[in-house]
Amino acid sequence: MKRILLACSSGMSTSLLVKKMEEAAEEKGIEADIWAVSNDKAKTDMAKADVLLIGPQMRFMKKKLEKTAGELNIPLDVIDPVAYGRVDGEAVLNKALELMEK
Amino acid sequence: MENSKFMQVLEDFLLPIADKLNNNRYLTALRDGFMVALPLIIFGSIFVVIANFPFLDEIISEDAFAAYQNALGPASAATLSIMGLFVIMGIGYKLTEYYEGEAIYGGAVALAAFLILTPQTLEEVSGVIPVAALGAEGLFLGIFTAFISAELYRFFVQKDWTIKMPAGVPEAVSRSFSSLIPIGLTLTIFLLIRIIFNITPFGTVQNFIYTIIQEPLTVLGSGLPATIVAVLLIQIFWFFGLHGQIIINSVFDPVWYALNNQNLEAFQAGTELPNIITKQFIDSFLVGMGGTGMTLAVIILIFLIGKSRQNKEIGRLGAPAGIFNVNEPIIFGLPIIMNPLVLIPWLLAPVVVTIITYFAMSTGLVPKPAGIIVPWTTPPILSGFLATGNAWQGAVLQVFNLIVVMLIWWPFLKILDKNYYEREKKEKAKE
Repeated sequence: MKRILLACSSGMSTSLLVKKMEEAAEEKGIEADIWAVSNDKAKTDMAKADVLLIGPQMRFMKKKLEKTAGELNIPLDVIDPVAYGRVDGEAVLNKALELMEK
Repeated sequence: MENSKFMQVLEDFLLPIADKLNNNRYLTALRDGFMVALPLIIFGSIFVVIANFPFLDEIISEDAFAAYQNALGPASAATLSIMGLFVIMGIGYKLTEYYEGEAIYGGAVALAAFLILTPQTLEEVSGVIPVAALGAEGLFLGIFTAFISAELYRFFVQKDWTIKMPAGVPEAVSRSFSSLIPIGLTLTIFLLIRIIFNITPFGTVQNFIYTIIQEPLTVLGSGLPATIVAVLLIQIFWFFGLHGQIIINSVFDPVWYALNNQNLEAFQAGTELPNIITKQFIDSFLVGMGGTGMTLAVIILIFLIGKSRQNKEIGRLGAPAGIFNVNEPIIFGLPIIMNPLVLIPWLLAPVVVTIITYFAMSTGLVPKPAGIIVPWTTPPILSGFLATGNAWQGAVLQVFNLIVVMLIWWPFLKILDKNYYEREKKEKAKE
């Protein structure tokens, strides 16, 4: 089970992406638990995740979240703005999987 | 995406500002404090809307209408009208949590410190706390009190002055005293502050903060120039793909909420509403039109004049979320970010709409926002109606503004669409 956490300002726009990523995961036959939260909840939810992806509009949160991510030893990155705009679930899913492998 | 050197320089300039504003512990605690209060504020707002249903006063008798309003009154009186209390508790809690202290004590000490500073007489009746002091008027004092009390509490906790218990006293007993000293000292300091202010001409700290800080700031914030600056800053941050509201609101929210509550008090008292610029002015008439930059107009325009496949795709993708004012697909997909071609309408449209809305309200064509907090995800037309205290003019103004935004965007979107369309044609020819 891959546990993928997305974070943006209020978890609204990333939740659009969650649906598309779930579809992409199903197509690939990957069992994944994907969910979106607001940035203030990200810290607590990170404990339950294998990877964290941040909405590009909240990329200034990266430094702060990196500290917690480091303690929990989970990778994180900012979602590519183009993939974000196109709500490209597959691209973001691939990115998440790639980060987890590292 | 065009990414010229100039853009890079600006981005390098803005990113640290966004970082500082967003990661400042006080501003973060402030924003989270408002988040704590938000569900309560919205609960109260819903009942203000229900209590003021249009035409109801004409259908039922005057007495029945008064009884109806009285019955629903406590819903907003216990939440929206005294929102300061919840914000203060939230700030105290969140700031203490940040310091990894016992957050609930931080919230409690902030609340108590604020109440110590609050006037406890009203028109020479003692033993009462004026409701206004817990709402709009006390908001700024509350915010400062929450910051300072949480800091003092943390300071005293870290000093670790404890009451030494003789051996044999159970561990739990001595622990129960552990928060006593920090809280006791913190509140003593606030009591001293209150006593000192009693002998100044201001009388109360509340009066002092209100006169010296809150009033000048809210007067400034209620004006058109400051609002245009705030709106432009939000647009500029978003142009670089940074969440403008999150960054700017943490600075402006105290002012906008204070203005909002002044209007609510007037609305419920049936007197003239004092402010045009309020939280709802921004949330319903600017953000609430499809998201920041009023991109619902852009989506409609794409459906009307869009020829390129890419734009049509973005329009389809962005429309369902856009109705509820979530517009990241448009901002990142069109794209708006870093796209010089749309910079002019992106900056111009919100300023024009701000001015139109301001004057529509100042001339009395459209009622001013009634102080009701409408969730920002409420679709336009409905949000304009609710925000103005169930006035159809509010909905009409939103439609009018939507058309204005479409007209401003028209030539620019046309060029963008033509570019995409020709590129798509070329790509097709190559295949």
